Amino acid sequence: MNGKIFVFIETREGSIVDSSLEVLGKARLLADKADFNVGALLLGYNIRHLAKELICRGADVVHLVDDKRLEKYTALPYTKAIVKIVQNEKPDILILAATTTGRDLGPRIAARLRTGITADCTDLDIGDYVDPLTGKKFRNVLYQIRPAFGGEIMATIVTPRHRPQMATVRPGLFSIPPKDESRSGDVREWTIEFTDFETQSIEVLESKREQRKVDLKSAKIIVSGGRGAGPKGFELIKELAKILGGEVGASRAAVEAGWISYDHQVGLTGQTVKPEIYIACGISGAIQHIVGMKDSRIIIAINKDPNAPIFKIADYGIVGDLFVILPKLIERLKSQKP
Amino acid sequence: MNIIVLVKPVPDPKAPVRLKPDGTIDREKVPLTVNLYDKHAVEAAVRIKEKYGGKVIAISMAPPHAIEVLREALAMGVDDAILLSDKRLAGSDTLATSYALSQAIRKIGDFDLILCGMESTDGNTGHVGPEVAEFLGIPHVTYVERIEIRDRHVIVKRLVEGGYEILKVKLPALLTITNTANEPRIPTIRDVLKARRKTIIVWNVDDIGVDPNKVGLRGSPTRILKIEKVILKRKGKIFTEPDVDKVIESFLAELKKDGVSLVR
Amino acid sequence: MPLDFNFTEEQEHLRRTIREFAEKFITPRVFEIEQKERIPNEIIREMARLGLFGVSIPEEYGGLYLDPITAGVIVEELARADLSCSTPVLYLVHTAWSYIAQKYGRKEFKEEILPLAAEGKLWIGIATTEPGAGSDLRSITTIAKKEGDEYVVNGEKAFISGVREALEQFEMGGGHLTLVKTAPEKGHRGMTMMFIPIRSPGIAIKYEKGWGRKGVSWASYKLDNVRVPEKYVIGNEGRGFYIAMEGFDYARALIATVCCAVAKRALELTMDYIKQRKVFGIPLAKFEGIQFPLAEHWARIEAAQLLAYKALWALKMEREGKMSRFEVSKIAAEAKMIAVLTAIRAIDDAMRWFGAFGYTEECPLTLAIKAVKSYEWAEGATDIMKIIVAREILGREFLPYR
Repeated sequence: MNGKIFVFIETREGSIVDSSLEVLGKARLLADKADFNVGALLLGYNIRHLAKELICRGADVVHLVDDKRLEKYTALPYTKAIVKIVQNEKPDILILAATTTGRDLGPRIAARLRTGITADCTDLDIGDYVDPLTGKKFRNVLYQIRPAFGGEIMATIVTPRHRPQMATVRPGLFSIPPKDESRSGDVREWTIEFTDFETQSIEVLESKREQRKVDLKSAKIIVSGGRGAGPKGFELIKELAKILGGEVGASRAAVEAGWISYDHQVGLTGQTVKPEIYIACGISGAIQHIVGMKDSRIIIAINKDPNAPIFKIADYGIVGDLFVILPKLIERLKSQKP
Repeated sequence: MNIIVLVKPVPDPKAPVRLKPDGTIDREKVPLTVNLYDKHAVEAAVRIKEKYGGKVIAISMAPPHAIEVLREALAMGVDDAILLSDKRLAGSDTLATSYALSQAIRKIGDFDLILCGMESTDGNTGHVGPEVAEFLGIPHVTYVERIEIRDRHVIVKRLVEGGYEILKVKLPALLTITNTANEPRIPTIRDVLKARRKTIIVWNVDDIGVDPNKVGLRGSPTRILKIEKVILKRKGKIFTEPDVDKVIESFLAELKKDGVSLVR
Repeated sequence: MPLDFNFTEEQEHLRRTIREFAEKFITPRVFEIEQKERIPNEIIREMARLGLFGVSIPEEYGGLYLDPITAGVIVEELARADLSCSTPVLYLVHTAWSYIAQKYGRKEFKEEILPLAAEGKLWIGIATTEPGAGSDLRSITTIAKKEGDEYVVNGEKAFISGVREALEQFEMGGGHLTLVKTAPEKGHRGMTMMFIPIRSPGIAIKYEKGWGRKGVSWASYKLDNVRVPEKYVIGNEGRGFYIAMEGFDYARALIATVCCAVAKRALELTMDYIKQRKVFGIPLAKFEGIQFPLAEHWARIEAAQLLAYKALWALKMEREGKMSRFEVSKIAAEAKMIAVLTAIRAIDDAMRWFGAFGYTEECPLTLAIKAVKSYEWAEGATDIMKIIVAREILGREFLPYR
């Protein structure tokens, strides 16, 4: 066996967050490819019942810390617990989903362990690395692949000497592994000593998250509206989506303005989608939104500002007022339908 | 309140990226500007200072020619600016950078709050904030949109998927700020002229007691295996005819030509 | 002369700051400004906040007292963002004439008016033109008679900018440095410049409708026994004509800068379009029939721009006592003459390349050409510029008339 891959598992309200399962699935694939063992880090309160699911989804070992003080995520106790386990278990690789939690926790762990961490990877692989200065060869290292410079560059990064090799992985890109009830594994429970400083420095007073009712992830076509749409614009967008058999998406601005519910939000604090066709109406193309739909196969933009950044990542676009363009487009498409 | 803001000079996002013949990024000729997200952090810091009193110090780790970028922070109301610059720092990844910055912050002395942007427009990692907090042994919270100052703590609103959290954080602490937090001010001519007259302090590795082995390429655990310029796969076929019917026809015709059908 | 075509770091920093302001606040509203024939109060307030109205005013009165070149960098960025030229005009007229006000005004006037002007609470313009006298200022008929410690002014001024703005959009109002005759028998040595607040009783206003630059108001007004206190005389009696010429030089240098910035921006917008618009399957930008005139216009505008900067530099030299009035006037006249001609031709061709769209009211170039054409007569007609240059280079003895 070449080593251990650890995956940080995020839970919310008694169940495992999807993006953690995506990472677990990827870890399993890497483990099978290069003969690694997969360990899942399950932290929280009253979450031990989730260990079985993790094993069914691909974990070989579940490292469990069930503690009231870990009920809500805060950086210090989570870092303490994970670092203790890692120092004992010495995994080669530790990966987290690049959720707001993962991006908050991952770097803190990496700094404490004095190791390297790559953010928001769009792919991972196992391979060899030769140090150009010394000629030394490192086998079976983690390839941490991610875009940089606003997406103009694709970089492959490695952490040859330091352990564990850490990375956060962009949510929504990998598939959730199926449940295999026949799988077996171990559960190891850990008790961690926390100082008052660790448990009292950050306190969660209130937490409000909305459940998603709309599944944009499996939509093949998404018609999305932004700040330029307004409630009337969304009526047109809904109609267009209906004709095309697609779903309705929205930018954060539109959701905050109350024109559509959060389930439709695409972007950094919304969903990451990669439909066949993404039609952005009245969306300027701010990076937080683009991050959520960049990997759509075809991007179409409609905006009255010819300088809107969205046009830079569009395959097709129309510069014009959506209130004028959409009705005509809908009319034209209706006449095309058999 | 004594606030430190971490400011990163980044290549102007509007300028195209150039690769050198050896495949590495050519950072020499690109014009630099303040990382957009750090501007929001500077604005947040200056507003706190204006309301509660105190001092704001901006610090950047960058090559010498980036000194002008710090002037933009000074023009926004930052009191002092420090540039951490040294050849030995070149090639530092986030761990090495965070170590160096934390040493510089130790040299600055007492502080109540450290603010920085939630990520940079060139690296987009968002890691330096939490790592600096770890090196300094202080609590940190990322994606903060709103800060309320209390006695020895702050109440912050943190953005998360699907909503937000309200957290109470004891000071001193580090917070990373979202771009939705505020609208960075445009400085007045007087602010700009005043900023030009300020002296920016420059420190090197020896000034701040940094172990050269822990910074630069040598101090960076991560290495770049390879970089590939992404061929912009987007077609960029934008239609601008003022006549609505014509523009829709051109658009649909182009889609048809490329074999894209909207209606299934 | 050792030449350095670079701006200082400070000027570049200011340029970036003004550009950020203009792109954010002004550019999105340019068409609105032209259609509503008004610059929104929010823009004027923000200009005031940034300090744009204190550019010519000494620090002791709360101003920034920037040198002319830096003032030019600022107006360039305003012009680049506002092709209708309304905001640049509001800035440059006040900048040029508040300079004159602070240079020649009496102490009481300065103490009363300048701090308000610096804060952007009061606007200062220029009123020389009359229905019967534009280029030939010697023929003005507005008379000011001294009565005790006041002047009583009677006459009429025509096509004056900024009247409505001074009346409605500046908190403490505003006024115009007005050219009047205090000793009509003395010809141009009998003219005096005085600051006349627009809210003075006796002023009857009629607004004109211009073809372009609609964002800044244009008005004619009758002066009927308007009383102006002595302290508002700018300079001395009899010096008005010369003081006006000096102010015009600053305005002309700034105008030249504006025309070049507008023309350059117009060409940049055109280039975006011709790179993308195809004719017979080829982008317009590839045809030499377009490239060649484009290159020529670009080069000419660069040349005009350098002349405009030279004029601003000449004004700076004059402030430092290193250049004579006549030399400055010559260069300013050269700059305005060339800038206006060059800009009009460039924008005219550029509009043509846009095809039908270039003729629509949605095309920013239509705003640009209308604005720039106003400078064929405003603050000094092109033909007068030619007279000035000819006079300086040939000698006064060759003037056909005085």
